[in-house]
Amino acid sequence: MFINYGLQEINLKIVFYGPGLGGKTTNLEHIYKQLDPTVRGDLITLKTKEERTLYFDFLQLELGRVKGLKPRFNLYTVPGQVYYDYSRKIILKGVDGVVFVADSQKSRMGDNLDSLLDLEKNLIELGHSLEDFPWIIQYNKRDLPNLESIEMLQSKLNFFGAPYTEAAAVNGIGVIETLKKSITEVISKVNV
Amino acid sequence: MESSNKRNGAQLILSEDIYNGIAKILDELSANTRAETIVFCESNGYPVTYKGNVKNLDLPAISSLAANNFSATAQMASMIGEKGSFKFLFHEGKDKNIYLSNVGFSFVLMVIFDVSVALGIIRIYTKKSINDLVDLLKTAEEEDKQSKEFLDLEFKTLLGEELNRSLKI
Ligand SMILES: Nc1nc2c(ncn2[C@@H]2O[C@H](COP(=O)(O)OP(=O)(O)O)[C@@H](O)[C@H]2O)c(=O)[nH]1
Ligand SMILES: [Mg+2]
Repeated sequence: MFINYGLQEINLKIVFYGPGLGGKTTNLEHIYKQLDPTVRGDLITLKTKEERTLYFDFLQLELGRVKGLKPRFNLYTVPGQVYYDYSRKIILKGVDGVVFVADSQKSRMGDNLDSLLDLEKNLIELGHSLEDFPWIIQYNKRDLPNLESIEMLQSKLNFFGAPYTEAAAVNGIGVIETLKKSITEVISKVNV
Repeated sequence: MESSNKRNGAQLILSEDIYNGIAKILDELSANTRAETIVFCESNGYPVTYKGNVKNLDLPAISSLAANNFSATAQMASMIGEKGSFKFLFHEGKDKNIYLSNVGFSFVLMVIFDVSVALGIIRIYTKKSINDLVDLLKTAEEEDKQSKEFLDLEFKTLLGEELNRSLKI
């Protein structure tokens, strides 16, 4: 969190984490498309030739003043591939909240869990832990066949009872709801 | 700002006085270098303030790129056994150059200038400004405390309302 009284701004960083190809970039693309340009800035994506996230995606939201302060939310995604570990660590630096985008397909459960453990490991290095950190889970790709049930996903992934949403990000379903929920979670846990 | 190295997402609060101090230092740098644009940002990429021309420049986006650019090279530095991060990064273009410097652990200074301006000029004056900024920012952390009562229950409630208002689709 960074409060700049000169500009009367409060800045918070929310990182979309999760296994590669789970739909993190798709979430940001839909936030960009669905929100009014007065609320959001440009979408920056740093991609490989194969359209995979190379370093990060970035989008800033700016809300109207609250008690004289202008809230700004910097949204980032990280690359999911295992070998981009350093990039993920860099992007997590200074994080205030996480949206974990899980891929609901049965075949991706192992990847979801690996990514979640990787997140926990990186959060611990920063002095946090999923147990008391503001984060939520988005169960994405609910439009596909061969899905894991929500009950199963909850019991396998959501061991600390974080808030969750269901989404089909590719159709824009559940994306803004996820965003709102994560901001609410971050703000409710800001203890200053 | 020594301890900011371990800030790890903890809060950083900049008072209006410090902000004005930064603006003054950037004014001076701008006058001395004729740089086209100067952006001062926090090391997680939040723009703090700027001088000069930012027309057609998405400030939050370029600040984010600058800060993460620095973080990436800091990682490279540590991989080759450098202690600490590189002091500056220089990006040379056909018409424009960018000169990025670390300011303590928590901030990055970005100077965008025309290729007709000598790099030496940029380097000398930037160095002086960085020293001034580091001195000024030393006092920032002690001033942190004052502002905590701002983010109370009322703030959280009002923010919730604002969220519903602005994220209508
Ligand atoms: N069917 C379906 N496909 C999705 C959904 N969300 C994302 N995708 C697709 O999954 C692929 C990877 O998405 P991407 O956002 O790049 O994943 P990232 O690696 O987590 O950033 C893309 O082809 C998306 O179109 C979804 O909700 N349903
Ligand atoms: Mg991606």
